[in-house]
Formats: sequence, C-alpha cells, structure tokens
Amino acid sequence: MIYLDNAATTLVKPASVERSFVQAMRTMASPGRGGHEPAMRAAETVLDCRMEAAELFNAPEPEQIVFTMNATHALNIAIRSLIRRGERVVVSGFEHNAVTRTLQACGARVCVAGRRLFDPADTIEAFQKALPDADFAICTHVSNVFGYALPIYEIADLCREHGVPLIVDASQSAGILTVDVQRLGAAFTAMPGHKALFGPQGTGILICGETGEPLLHGGSGSESILQEMPAFLPDRHEAGTQNVCGIAGLLAGIRFVKEKGTEAILSHERRLLADARRELTGCGLQLFTGSEQTQCGVLSLRSERHDCEWIAQRLAERGICVRSGLHCAPTAHESAGTLQSGTVRLSFSPFVTAEQVKGACAALREIADQA
Amino acid sequence: MTQYLITCRSLTQAQRTARLLEKHGINAAVTKIPQELSQRGCTYAVSLRRKFEEAVTILRKNDLLNGKLYVRSGESYTEVTV
Repeated sequence: MIYLDNAATTLVKPASVERSFVQAMRTMASPGRGGHEPAMRAAETVLDCRMEAAELFNAPEPEQIVFTMNATHALNIAIRSLIRRGERVVVSGFEHNAVTRTLQACGARVCVAGRRLFDPADTIEAFQKALPDADFAICTHVSNVFGYALPIYEIADLCREHGVPLIVDASQSAGILTVDVQRLGAAFTAMPGHKALFGPQGTGILICGETGEPLLHGGSGSESILQEMPAFLPDRHEAGTQNVCGIAGLLAGIRFVKEKGTEAILSHERRLLADARRELTGCGLQLFTGSEQTQCGVLSLRSERHDCEWIAQRLAERGICVRSGLHCAPTAHESAGTLQSGTVRLSFSPFVTAEQVKGACAALREIADQA
Repeated sequence: MTQYLITCRSLTQAQRTARLLEKHGINAAVTKIPQELSQRGCTYAVSLRRKFEEAVTILRKNDLLNGKLYVRSGESYTEVTV
C-alpha cells in the first residue's frame, strides 16, 4: 500500500505512538478523578503532553493547551467563544467547513478575503482591505486542499494593528511549519493531534490566548460543588473523561516531531512534492502548484478527461490511497475554480518515500492515459 | 512529622507546583485535600514535610501560589500565612 492521504490523517505513525497508546490502556485511569496511582499516572502523562505541546508551539503556560477530540472541536470552541450572530468575520479563501459551517451556524456575516492560490501578496492585501470593518478574523495556516502556506504571521500582524481577534486553523501546519503562538498573538489556535503530530485519531489541541466559553459542560474533576464550569484553563474546556490513551499517543507523536524537527519534516515533504510535480508534468493532468515557499506537502490535481472520484478509485484498486472530491473545503475549491470538478489530492508525510511517490505517479500517468 | 498543604486551583497547577518543587530539591506530592478544606469541592494540593517556607518563596517567585496554606497536626488542619 502507498498511503498518500496524510492531510486527512496520518496512518503510518512512529512505533512509540502505538506503544504509548496500548500502555495507557493497560495502566492509566481517569486523570483528575482520583488520587490513586492509575489516575495520577494518567495525570502525569496528560501534563507531560501539555508541556511538550506548549514548548513546541511556544505557548507561555501549559494550562493554555486544551485537549479536544479533533481540530473541528477546537475550532468550534474558539468560534463559539468569540463570535455572535451578525458579527462580521473575515476568513481566507481557503477555509475548511470546520470554520465555515460553524460560522454559518453562528449566524456570522462572513467576508472571504484573498482567493488567489499561492499568492501571499494578494492574501495580505485582501486582509488589509477587509480588516477595518471586521469584528474577527479566521485564517488557515495551510490549505488542506492545495497545500498553500498562507502568510499567517503577516495576517496576524495586520489583525493586531486593527485590533481584530484572530483564530488560526493550524490543522495542516502543526508539526510541519513553525507555529509560534506568541508570535501569532491569536485568541485561539486550533489543530488536530492525528495529522502531522502523529497522535491517534480522536485527539486535537486548542491553544488558548483567551479563556473562552465552554462548548461542553460536565465534570472537570475540579470545583465540583459549582454548577458552572471552572473559570480557569484547561479545566474550563475539558468536560468529561479525557482521551488519555489518545493523549499518551499524542505525547509520543509530539516527541517524534520534536526529535526529527519540523524543518527536516517540511523539507522531506517538499522534496516529495517536487518529485511528484516532475513525474506528473506533461501527462495531461492539471497540477495545482506554487513556488517552493508557498506550498507544503500537498498536491491537488485534476484531469479534463476523467472524474476525480474515478481516478481515486482506480488508484485505490492499485493500493494507492489518496483523497478526491471537495475535501470538506468548498470555499477553497471555489477560490481555485475547482468547485465543479473537485480534485485528487496527494499528501505526504515523513514516512512516505521517494519510491512510493514514484510508484504513485507512474500509476497516475497510466490512469490519466486511459480512454 | 508535620505535614504542609498548599492548595491549588486545578490538578494541572498542583502537578506543575510539585514538579517545580522537586526540581528545587523539595519532596512534594500531589494529593486531594480533605473535604473539610475544600470550599468548592474536588481540590488538589501539594503536600510536603519540610522546607515549607522555601517552597512558598519559590512558588511566589514563579507565580504558582494562589491557593491556601495549611499545617496539619494530628487530624486537624490550621490555615497559615507565610
């Protein structure tokens, strides 16, 4: 099997992730629910993960690291904390439904800024124009469809200048690009644990620059006499039993990323992207590519002759796993002019080899040639 | 032997407190506090046997002291200030 659907979830994980997950299942109880050894062991693991994440993302305090089910859950907390009906929210032209559907449900007035793919200058200019009238801004760091690395730090600077609170969706960048939450100064930064941080599915992180409002209410293991959620982090957003096994795996994943280094991971993925681009140029497929600096390890493509779902199915029959369609990001497809066709997406990871990319590209060339 | 308790607003803070004190060579353990001391229910504390004043100074310096301080003698606890 050649697994190239890493932008959805990384399937191949470091061996330490599975080991930690299984060990947690066998030895850890619910943190914050008892003073006994299995509960305290779990609590130590959860704190270790908070501290490692705080260090990786330069969060001032580990309490600012809130564990969630996934990035969507984290984004829902962030959006529901800040945004009320009728408020004007500026978003990039490359947002995921985790952002846009949640804004729709909130009744926010959404203004899309910057539709041009792989054009940071256009993105910055569009935000510059839209921010003076905005109540809030939300921006993805990297497009999940095209791998476009948006100029997030410049956008964060603009938001600060205009006094507009920013929510960052780091779903595709956490573990690959530098996500420095102090430099961003965002109200909230959301990310999954199960993508480039290599945690198990069912893990996510919300880094809180503000306390926010709870989305879920329930037991937190603290201030139990009160009928409101605690006012302090992380307890305010962590109602109910935590995914300790997932967090134990995530801890191992984060340690893997730190050991390997995000720069090495990024350059490996960009090398694979360049290989794929070279292998697929001139075979009748439309490739969506930018300059090296503006694109991470995600490649979208389409064919004039074949439906993207048909291509993905032919690849799947050969054991090559990609994602096709709209990737839960119609806004991004609208921006790129691919809303009707969708695209086939190849997404890489440190565990993907050059040989695998070569094999997948050879298969794609053959499929593209079929009548 | 005298036991000291430093209450913390959350488990996370209690763990951080204990880790910081351990780093400074002060034995400290995270514990749940007795219900009689817990005004809001389910509160964690850090328990130590010695170097109490030094511990309080370290925690103040690191902005980790926002609970109450108790000394245990027998079965009763007395709130203290340092």
